Amino acid sequence: MLKKLSILLTTAILLSACLPSPPDRSASKTITVYGFSIMKEALEKDIYPAFKAKWKSEHNEDIEFVSSFAGSETVTNQILQGAPADIAILSIERDADRLVQGNAANANWHSLPANGIVNKTPFIILVRAGNPKGIHDFADLGKPGIKIIHPDPASSGGAQWSILAIYGSQLKKSEAESGNKDTVRATNTLKAIWKNVISSPGSAREARTQFELGQGDALITYELEGLMMKQAGAQIEMIVPPATILSEHPAVLIDRNVTDAKRPVVEAFLNYLWSDEAQQAFVKNHFRSATNDSFNDANKEFAQIQQPFTAEYFGGWGKAYPEIIDAIFLKQVQAK
Amino acid sequence: MRGFDLAKPLSIGVMIAIMLPLVLLPLASIFIFGTSNGLDNFWKALMAPEAIFALKLSIVTSFWATVFNVIFGLFAAYVLSKYNFWGRNAIIVTISLPTAIPTAVAGFALLLLWGPYGLLGRLIEPHGVHIMFTAWAIILANIFVTFPLAFGVIKPVFDTMNQSLEEASATMGATRWQTFWHVTLPGLRGAIVTGALLTFARAIGEFGSTILVSGNLASRTQTAPLYIFAKFNEGQVEAANAIAIVLALFSFVIFSILFFARDWLEVD
Repeated sequence: MLKKLSILLTTAILLSACLPSPPDRSASKTITVYGFSIMKEALEKDIYPAFKAKWKSEHNEDIEFVSSFAGSETVTNQILQGAPADIAILSIERDADRLVQGNAANANWHSLPANGIVNKTPFIILVRAGNPKGIHDFADLGKPGIKIIHPDPASSGGAQWSILAIYGSQLKKSEAESGNKDTVRATNTLKAIWKNVISSPGSAREARTQFELGQGDALITYELEGLMMKQAGAQIEMIVPPATILSEHPAVLIDRNVTDAKRPVVEAFLNYLWSDEAQQAFVKNHFRSATNDSFNDANKEFAQIQQPFTAEYFGGWGKAYPEIIDAIFLKQVQAK
Repeated sequence: MRGFDLAKPLSIGVMIAIMLPLVLLPLASIFIFGTSNGLDNFWKALMAPEAIFALKLSIVTSFWATVFNVIFGLFAAYVLSKYNFWGRNAIIVTISLPTAIPTAVAGFALLLLWGPYGLLGRLIEPHGVHIMFTAWAIILANIFVTFPLAFGVIKPVFDTMNQSLEEASATMGATRWQTFWHVTLPGLRGAIVTGALLTFARAIGEFGSTILVSGNLASRTQTAPLYIFAKFNEGQVEAANAIAIVLALFSFVIFSILFFARDWLEVD
């Protein structure tokens, strides 16, 4: 019997010797990027390869990118807990500010080009082909019997943009009708829509996957998600609300994690995000440029938004989060 | 003469009918979905470097967690069945706790201990020692969530073991180590293998704690279950399914070994 046991033990030891040892993360010229969910394709398909080639030709040095993608709030929490990010690309300014407050990121991220915003995209509604539920604006999503997939604002920045889009669109509408911003009407619209939410996944991309798998009648999301789905031949329609928000996505350097040896290449990559080349690559991947609106002409798929607005309409994220997401959505709509 | 026993096919039929929507069809749909675009695409999804890395990382981290937990389980079972001391029951209960603790709690408990602001992390991080968001964190998480499994299998066998054999061995002049190696250990063979396989099977599928402590970096700290989740979230359901199939086959193999090797393990 001892023979059998020793065979087992030997097999186990041999097996363990064959296995690769857990990788270490100390390899020098590696840039670690944590991004919010929808950044993946643009970065991996175009931005990383282009920067690698550029760096190679200028410095004759190979660099490697590793990245992780999740909801913006999730990414932020991971970095605050010590995840080894060099750069974070986030959905919302609030998360950049949380990284600053947590002493992870540099406070002057706004001094980067375009106020620290790398790209933007409007919020739209995706419905099934033929628009069987007759949805033409955010308010239609509050009608009884409509099933909505909406990411969870606790983990997703896109979810927070969506809430601001709905809320702001109603303020815009009431402003046009009566000259006053009707906050009660906007809150009630949010309440009606939230009643119809059947699932709230952790990120915009997760929400899209659920929608793609056939759940729900409608999904509020970034325009580029709709354009990517259409490109892939999904049976959907994009509904562009007359008034909607343009989300603006900041990129920040995670000062705490960037070693001196790596700093030049990490900073070079961060600045590269605002180069014409990178901005045009974003446009190709359906983001709108943050630096030059004329780049957007290159993408014929972009929707015309009648009344676009940004977080500035609410006085910036410093006000939008406490006054709308927290005081109205979390305390009145979600909590009931 | 006995007639046809209707109860037999009926009860088997009912059993399978109940299992069908609960277990069999969900598993079948993974296989159907994963291979729906042809075996070529399935193979391609499986051979993606990130997927292979994720599988390897899962195997390595689960392996070391298993090694640790089997050795510790053996040791703890030995101590706890041999000696009676104050606090013994409290320790037995504590070892079993991870069974009922949500795995996410295990994850952030580790973060709270080893993270940059954690009780111990605060002391070691300034020296450049990082445990969270490395493979070590995954091993620690695996050890935590599978902690009671090997112990739970080994301890009862220890308890029912014939004490007189050990005593006889001792009276014949064997040292404690000789007695353990030649008398005690052989009797535990089955329990050790079972405990190890159970631990490994549970560790390789671990998700809730790993997602919090690993950092989830593709080709760095992304285990197979995290890869599945990431691919699902990215809408690449097929890639997710390919790895899910591998993990399902893994557990199938492990539990088949447990079932069919039982005789081999018990009889000398």
